[in-house]
Amino acid sequence: MNSLELVSATVKLQKTRRVPVIPQVFGHAAVLSGVSVEDYTSNGEMLAQCQLNALKHYGHDAVFSVMDANVEAEAAGCVLEFHKERYSEIIKYALSPGGQFLSPLVVPHPEKAGRMPEMLKALTILRKELGMNTMIFGCVLGPFSVATQLLGLEAALYMAVDDPARLEALTDFATDTIIRFGLAQLKAGAHAMLVFDPSSSPAVIPPNFFREFIFPRLKKTCNSFDQAGSMANWLHIAGPAAPILPFYPAAGVHIANFDYYISAAQAIKGLPATCVNGNIKPLAFVEDCPDAIRKESMDLMTAFLGRRGFILSSGCEVPLESRPENIMAMVGAAREFSNA
Amino acid sequence: MDKLITAILDGDSAMAVSQARQLNASGLSPEKIIIEGVEAAMSALDTKCTLEDFNLLEIMLAGRAVMEVTKLFWPSGAVKDSAKGTVVIAALEGDVHDLGKNILKMVLTGKGYNVVDCGKDCPLQKLADTAAAGRPLAVGLSGLITTVIPVVRQVKGALAARGLDNVKVFAGGAALKQSTPGMLNVDFVAESAFDVLRFLSGLGNGLG
Repeated sequence: MNSLELVSATVKLQKTRRVPVIPQVFGHAAVLSGVSVEDYTSNGEMLAQCQLNALKHYGHDAVFSVMDANVEAEAAGCVLEFHKERYSEIIKYALSPGGQFLSPLVVPHPEKAGRMPEMLKALTILRKELGMNTMIFGCVLGPFSVATQLLGLEAALYMAVDDPARLEALTDFATDTIIRFGLAQLKAGAHAMLVFDPSSSPAVIPPNFFREFIFPRLKKTCNSFDQAGSMANWLHIAGPAAPILPFYPAAGVHIANFDYYISAAQAIKGLPATCVNGNIKPLAFVEDCPDAIRKESMDLMTAFLGRRGFILSSGCEVPLESRPENIMAMVGAAREFSNA
Repeated sequence: MDKLITAILDGDSAMAVSQARQLNASGLSPEKIIIEGVEAAMSALDTKCTLEDFNLLEIMLAGRAVMEVTKLFWPSGAVKDSAKGTVVIAALEGDVHDLGKNILKMVLTGKGYNVVDCGKDCPLQKLADTAAAGRPLAVGLSGLITTVIPVVRQVKGALAARGLDNVKVFAGGAALKQSTPGMLNVDFVAESAFDVLRFLSGLGNGLG
């Protein structure tokens, strides 16, 4: 059973010989390879090579074509500033809350807009190199997260109350954008899709807002990916997400990330028949030592022993400046642990 | 006063301002309205926060109502001659995310602190110079990304270099709250803006 088969079986809650381990190595792959974050997030060939280097170094079970949280926003008109040692930031939003919008917005073409073509290039290279041996995740931002990137989080949240119809229209546009982008990624080589949706966290919006406003669009997105052959849809919502976990299966989520705010017991209770992954505190990969990471990994795998459907992972992305020996410790623990 | 409190908790800025205006017209001083209305509403929000039943949207809406009421009486947005003291806040250089800091500002203002906001992507020197000029009770650092941590660790040293050894430093935000005071070289790491209120209330007014 290779890595891809291992992850696939785990997603289906089948019994496996070991627990898959997927540290969320995104930009850290650039740091590991001695490449600037700016280059990594702008050049598909470099991104793919760094991901392959990280895979060879750590021996984990999946790679990601993830640049930063601003790919869709940039493609739709936001202006970014890039940095060598950290992720890009939006310096000008595509929209202003008081101004007219949507009429000038056109769903970005994944093969032409911003850095989207570079992400597709990375996926093509990764698929060529890894074939059906290791799972390759493409990535889109969640619908509401794209909306908040286009407008600014603060303005978008106020709009949810002050002018909900406008926010609905904007989020529908965002949904169309990520579906088109995600389908292009699956066509380019992604086996599965990561939906990264930080703005949908219950730390940001109430659970009933998630249910009424976000869930239908998330479901539409996941269904589109399913129809295009995605082997799994991974939803990543950080923070205290326990109240919204029960909505995930009906939305078409196959892998649910849970952050360090949520205990293993809460994840098991909230998602009894869905594969989950988590939840080592991201900063622990910077501040802690390998022994501590190893212990936490063992404790987590023990908590899920017999339950099936668990992928050992970080609660969110491992920070850029993570200590490689800590990631090695997590991967080593998964390989050492008996999943019998 | 109950109607003002309810309006703030509902995030209804227009109603909150209207109620505050009526209370003022009936003879209540702005200070009394802030203490018995706005601060009471913030205390109710604090209780909700402790129950882990809160989110940014609700706090932002309540905070916006608080800021509108504050502006009604003090157009600059700051409570004049705050007896509770001054707090200098910033998102440090390298971090352009300022929503957490903005919420902290609203919550602290609602509880009667004078808040000096150094903005986002703030150089360490600017923060320390602002603190030196403002005689603050504390300095607050908000951080969403871990790469800002090396700068956070330098804040106490920069304050000490300006003779501000006694000024307390606290940190919060998605990245910083994963750490500890020892690792960040600060006095307190807050889980939420309301956590900051509890920390500050434990300090007294610090103004002698």
